[in-house]
This record gives sequence, C-alpha cells and structure tokens, in this order.
Amino acid sequence: MEVLAGLTTPIVFGILLGGLYTLIALGLSLVFGVMKVINVAHGDLVIFGSYLAFAAMTMLGIDPILSLVMGMPLLFVIGFGVQRFLLNRAFAVSLDAALLVCFGLSIIFQNFCQIIWTPFSRSLKPPYALESFSVGVVNIPLVYLLDLVTALVVMLLLREFLRRTYLGKAINAASQDTKAALLMGINTGRVYAFAFAIAMAFAAIAGVFLGLTYPFTPTSGVAFLIIAFGVVIVGGLGSMLGTLIGGMVFGLAQTLGGYFLGAVAQMFVAYILVFVILAVRPQGIFGR
Amino acid sequence: MRVTIPGLRGGLIPFAAVVVVLAVLPVLGMPREWLLYLFLFFIYLAMANMWNLLAGYSGLICLCPAAFVGVAGYTVAIGTWVGLPFYLGIIAGAIAAVAFALLISFPVFRLRGIYFAIGTLVLPEVLKAWFLLWRPVGGVMVGRGAGYAVKGVQGVSLTEWYWVALVIGIASIFLMRIILSSKLGLGLAAIRDNDDTAASSGIDVFRLKLYSFVIAAFIMGMAGAIFYSYGGYIEPVGAFSIRWLLIALLATVIGGEGIKEGPIIGTAIVVILHFLLARYTGISLLIQGALLIIIMLLVPQGIVGYIQKTRAYRLLSKLASGR
Repeated sequence: MEVLAGLTTPIVFGILLGGLYTLIALGLSLVFGVMKVINVAHGDLVIFGSYLAFAAMTMLGIDPILSLVMGMPLLFVIGFGVQRFLLNRAFAVSLDAALLVCFGLSIIFQNFCQIIWTPFSRSLKPPYALESFSVGVVNIPLVYLLDLVTALVVMLLLREFLRRTYLGKAINAASQDTKAALLMGINTGRVYAFAFAIAMAFAAIAGVFLGLTYPFTPTSGVAFLIIAFGVVIVGGLGSMLGTLIGGMVFGLAQTLGGYFLGAVAQMFVAYILVFVILAVRPQGIFGR
Repeated sequence: MRVTIPGLRGGLIPFAAVVVVLAVLPVLGMPREWLLYLFLFFIYLAMANMWNLLAGYSGLICLCPAAFVGVAGYTVAIGTWVGLPFYLGIIAGAIAAVAFALLISFPVFRLRGIYFAIGTLVLPEVLKAWFLLWRPVGGVMVGRGAGYAVKGVQGVSLTEWYWVALVIGIASIFLMRIILSSKLGLGLAAIRDNDDTAASSGIDVFRLKLYSFVIAAFIMGMAGAIFYSYGGYIEPVGAFSIRWLLIALLATVIGGEGIKEGPIIGTAIVVILHFLLARYTGISLLIQGALLIIIMLLVPQGIVGYIQKTRAYRLLSKLASGR
C-alpha cells in the first residue's frame, strides 16, 4: 500500500504535466499535419515565447499570462512572415530544404535568446507560481493544474476553429490532400501561412506555461522539441484526443522515470521512449 | 594486379602537389594561428565530406554527427584513463563510433525521410543525457557532467596534430572518390533518385545505406577523436552539441550537396567565417544560421553547383576537354 501511496503523486503530476506537453505539441502537430514538415525550430520558438513573457515581466511588470496579449500576436506575425517568405520558397526546392531552413531558424532563435538574455537559467515566478493546494495525500502546485486546464481550453478552441470557420476548414482540407484543396479553389500558400502563424501563437502560450512550470535556458528548446515530437507520434496526426493522451504518456514517463530512477534520469526516460516509439510504430498509435 | 582509381587518374599530379605543399607548411614557419585554422579545416572537411556522402549521395538526412564525434571523443578520453595510449584510442574511437552506428541502425533504418531525420536528432540528446550522469572511471562526479581530460597528449605539438588532421582530411577526399566510382556509389545514386525503383532492380537498399552510414560514422568518429585529443578535454555538452551538425551541414550546403568538390569549398568558407567571427560566438552562430537559410533559398545547388551552371565554366571545361 505504501508503494501505491507513493505513486499517487508522480501519477497526478504526470497527468498534469501531460497538459503542458500537449500545449507544446499542438503547434508542432498543426504544422506537421498541414505541411508534412517537422518544424525543428518549434522548441526554440516556444522558448522564445518564454523569454518574451520573461521580458514583459521583468521590464514592464506584466503578469506572464496577461503578457500573451502581446506575445501571441507577435509570434503570429513572425510565424506568418516565416512561412510566407522562407518556408513557402523552400517547399519549391524540396521537403529537405524546408527541414534545413527550419534548422537554420532554430539556430537563429536559440542564439538570439542567448545574446539578448544570456545563457543563464531563467524562470517565470509571479506570486501565484509558488501556490499549491492539497487533494487527499497529493499536494498539487497551482501552475501544474493551469497547464492541464489551459491545454484543454486551447484544444477545444482549436477544434471548434477547425470545424466552424472557413479558414479552419481550409486548413483541414489542405492537411488531408493539398492538391485536391488547391483544385477546390483554396489558396494553399495562404492557408499554410495562417496555419504556421496559428502554430506560433500556440507556441507563445506553450512558452508561458513552460516558463511557469520549469526553469529554461536558450538551449532548452531541443529537449522540448523531442518530447513534442514524441507526443505527435504517439497521438498521430489529426487526433486531438490522441495528442492529449500522447502528452500524458510523456508526462507520466517523466514523473515515473524520476520516481523510480531519480530526478536526473527523467529526460533520459522520455528520450528513450521517443526512440522506442519511433522504431516500433512511426505512424503513431492513434494515427489515421 | 594493378589497382586503378578511375576518378583520380587525371588530377592526381596537381592534387599530390597541393598535398605536399600543405604538408610542408608548418616546416616553412607558418604562424601558429593559421595552422590551427588549417587543422580545423581538415577536421571539418572530413565531417563535411561524410555528411555529403549521407545527405547528398545516400538520401539520409542524418542529424547525428555529434553522436559519432562524442562517442569517439569519449572513447579516446576514457581510454587514456585506463591505460590505452591516445593514438590507439583514436582508432578505438572510430571503431566505437562504428559500433554505435551499427547498434542504432536497427531502429533508425526502419524510418524514412523526415522520421529518419528526427530519429537521428534524438541520439545526441540521449547520449548527452547519459554522459551527464555516467562516470565510468576517474573517481566521483563533481558537479554536473562527466568531463574528462585526455591524458598523455601534452608532448604532442600542434604541427604533429596538423599532420594527423591533414591525413584524415585528404583521406576523406580519396574515400569519397573511391566510393563514388565503385559499385557502392552507383547503387547509392540509384537509391537517392528513387528507393523503390532501385530496390526492384536488385539493389539491396538497406545494406548500401548501412554501408555509407557506417563509413560516415568511422570517419566522423575519427575526426572527432583527433579534435578532442588535440583539445585535451571533453565534456558532454560540447561533445554532443548541435554545433557539429551545423558545421558539417553548412559546409556541405554552401559548397553544394551531392557534388564531390562541394564540401572542400564549403568547408573553406565555414572556416573563414569562424576565423572572422571568432570573437563573437553568439553572433557567429546567428550568422551561420542565417547563411544556411539564405543559401538554401537562393542557391540550393550550392556555390560549386552554381558555378558549374554558369556559361564561363562550361566554356572552360569544353576547352579543357577538347584540347
């Protein structure tokens, strides 16, 4: 019984952390689904979002979550520009070219953060970041709960957007079959740009909650890119529920790995899991 | 039996002359700083040639050069702690990189295209996480990370390291030419153009890709082992850094992917860039990232590819062949 009681905390934490990983993975999944390219800069853009909130908090004294009012439009515009001027051209060359352009962006954003905010570890610590409450035997930090709640809200919004608006339907159509969508009169270049821009706005949200949950450095991006990729692979493309479950799988892998093997082995367990899933079932578990 | 290397016969004499000049440079009293940059040039050239073999000729977008470099570097360093001299350690390092490549080939060769790329991207991160925790020899771990000094390299001068790097750099050029004019090279070209067609014409796709993966691991590992033996110290964050990928990738892309001469020109430009921006580390990487994007979008065939397409080059090569 004692083992079970001890396990409750990592399991609850893992599920809540799953919300954070789902948030990070949503943008990656959207871009991967529509354009069939892995945006290897996604992790760095998420971290860039964390730094924007950090700057807003330290320089202007704005709450990180409120700062999203500025952060989301900014990353939206950056995303739109990146897709319109860089990636759309790279697609004309080849899919590999697009991947390498994303890699270039990753290096640029990583080093931009490093130059502006130094390589030291930072974190977002507004007053409520330290609060927690108890449910039974588990003491839950408020931020962890916010991760899951936000993930659920963002997912619902995205689902409704994809179902109800013209743009959402166009994105869906382009992700299912680009050529058919083009023939039906959808401007796929514009749809791509909006999809990427929306993914970047999600990266801004993910960045803020990542910063609230974990300390971050300019080079943290790769770790979260790999986890987000793992989430996308587990969840499969086009399945929201799959993405949420994928997020929880990685949240649990990390907390349970930490519980059994010590805190330092957490990330190691998550990476190995990505690798095993890739090797065993690259098309995903919930995928179409 | 006479061994002939078809791709080389014509240019062998000028090529040999260049190598001899490069080899005697340190004796002629070249400044130390220049020697160091030439040392880096040869190490990076070996990396770029192998990346070109993978991406340009085998269609494998392999994002894990750092894994081979780090594994080999750690083999040398740990080897010197258990009594293996570093010169044997360099060879052991290359072999360790090959062993690692064989081990991971089972999972990653099941993946194709973009999945292969991401699968290999994970590897250096896994190794970094592992080496941050693992300290096989040399007492307890201090702080975070298993940093090791390479023992017994104090007596070796930069000139000697320069010669070692020259050998690996030149060897990588030779190796590329031999591979490309062999049956392996032809098979790889067929695979790059279309896997399925190649497979249906009786080419063992898996085996040929594995060969080039293993060859690349060997040379990249050896280059990394030489680099860290010269440096005398290795630690996980630097050894498994994405910087290694950026160097190999950028040099290949600038010069021209899938072009034999591409990496030579590309590496020269990368080293010159490192030299010019040596004092501004952060900005240097930023500029390299921007350069990668610019080249990819404006001259995706690379500088050598671009020159080969110009009218002046065609005219010259016509003159040269019709003399």
